[in-house]
Amino acid sequence: MNRTSPLEQSLAALLRYGSWLASAAIGLGFALALIDSRVGTRNLAILPSMRIASMGIVLFILLPSLRVLLMLLVFIREGDFRFAAAAGLVLVIISLSVIFVL
Amino acid sequence: MDCAFMLWLFAVSVVASAFGGMHGMASGIFIVPILTMFGHIEIHTAIGASIVSVIACSCGGAAPFLENGMTNVRLAIVLETATTMGALTGVLLVGIVPSSYLYSLFTVILFLSARQMLARRRDPAFAYVPAVTNNWLDSSYPDQELGRDVSYRVHRVPLGMMLMYGAGLISALLGIGSGVLKIPAMDAAMRLPIKVSSATSNFMIGVTAAASAGAYFMRGNITTAVAGPVALGSVLGAIVGARMLLIVSNDRLRLLFVIVLLALGLQMLLTVFGVQPL
Repeated sequence: MNRTSPLEQSLAALLRYGSWLASAAIGLGFALALIDSRVGTRNLAILPSMRIASMGIVLFILLPSLRVLLMLLVFIREGDFRFAAAAGLVLVIISLSVIFVL
Repeated sequence: MDCAFMLWLFAVSVVASAFGGMHGMASGIFIVPILTMFGHIEIHTAIGASIVSVIACSCGGAAPFLENGMTNVRLAIVLETATTMGALTGVLLVGIVPSSYLYSLFTVILFLSARQMLARRRDPAFAYVPAVTNNWLDSSYPDQELGRDVSYRVHRVPLGMMLMYGAGLISALLGIGSGVLKIPAMDAAMRLPIKVSSATSNFMIGVTAAASAGAYFMRGNITTAVAGPVALGSVLGAIVGARMLLIVSNDRLRLLFVIVLLALGLQMLLTVFGVQPL
């Protein structure tokens, strides 16, 4: 039976550990905010510990782009320039969507 | 925003994602209607939260498919040029499309999804091809039931890409995974085996959603207090849904799923006409 390539293994590792890290940051941020809220404000949104949760959200938003970047680097190293061009184009389009709203 | 409301967001996201996950759907299709109609959250904030949960579920669930060789990563990156281009169009439109149009479009997607759920997905008559082919996108996957590799050919890529452009557009406008367009693109147009289609579609959803999530973030539509509990709840729900899929009978659930989609569609329709049902 077919064995997965190093590319698929690296993508799986990046997405698995990236998701765990982002989820852990969101969970930790909220847990600290809940503890803080017991001694002070009822409005959790303004607590400093929510910044940790925000970092988790930003990591989730960046994670797909990081995996496209990883694909781009692997395709270039393998000399697979058609797919490298596709990965590069996807990164450009994602960047444009952010640039257009600035 | 108080603690009880965040716990409510977390709980509904777990349920929505588990329920959706049992049918191979992302939670987005339920999250936005629930947040707007029951949580009374502004639609762009609800879409912002949903788009993060779509990324979280895609990234969180991708590893096992990749490790089992189900995902066609080369086909995915080619199709992602179309989905992200669709998402870019959606990002440009979202600022000018009135909220009532978004509710109307959501209603159509909910009804279409209900219809699609009633029609069972069958493996398309994909062409079995020799292990070595010339087409640069053809591939193979290990079929556990058959105990061997199954090679397949990718058909009609331009048509698939057009449908993927539409899927990216809808994803950016509504904050959903757009399974309603991806499934016909992969099954009917490109004739991929269902296992490859599901794995590749799940893999692509994260990048498609990321193309609009950055823009929603920059516009301030992604608020941690809403998006955080929704993302965390959706990831947990997706894990629960995948487990439940193995122990719960699928047919009754399918009917319940259709009823929920129709009920949410109806409520969205009432919202378009200014009727606040709940």
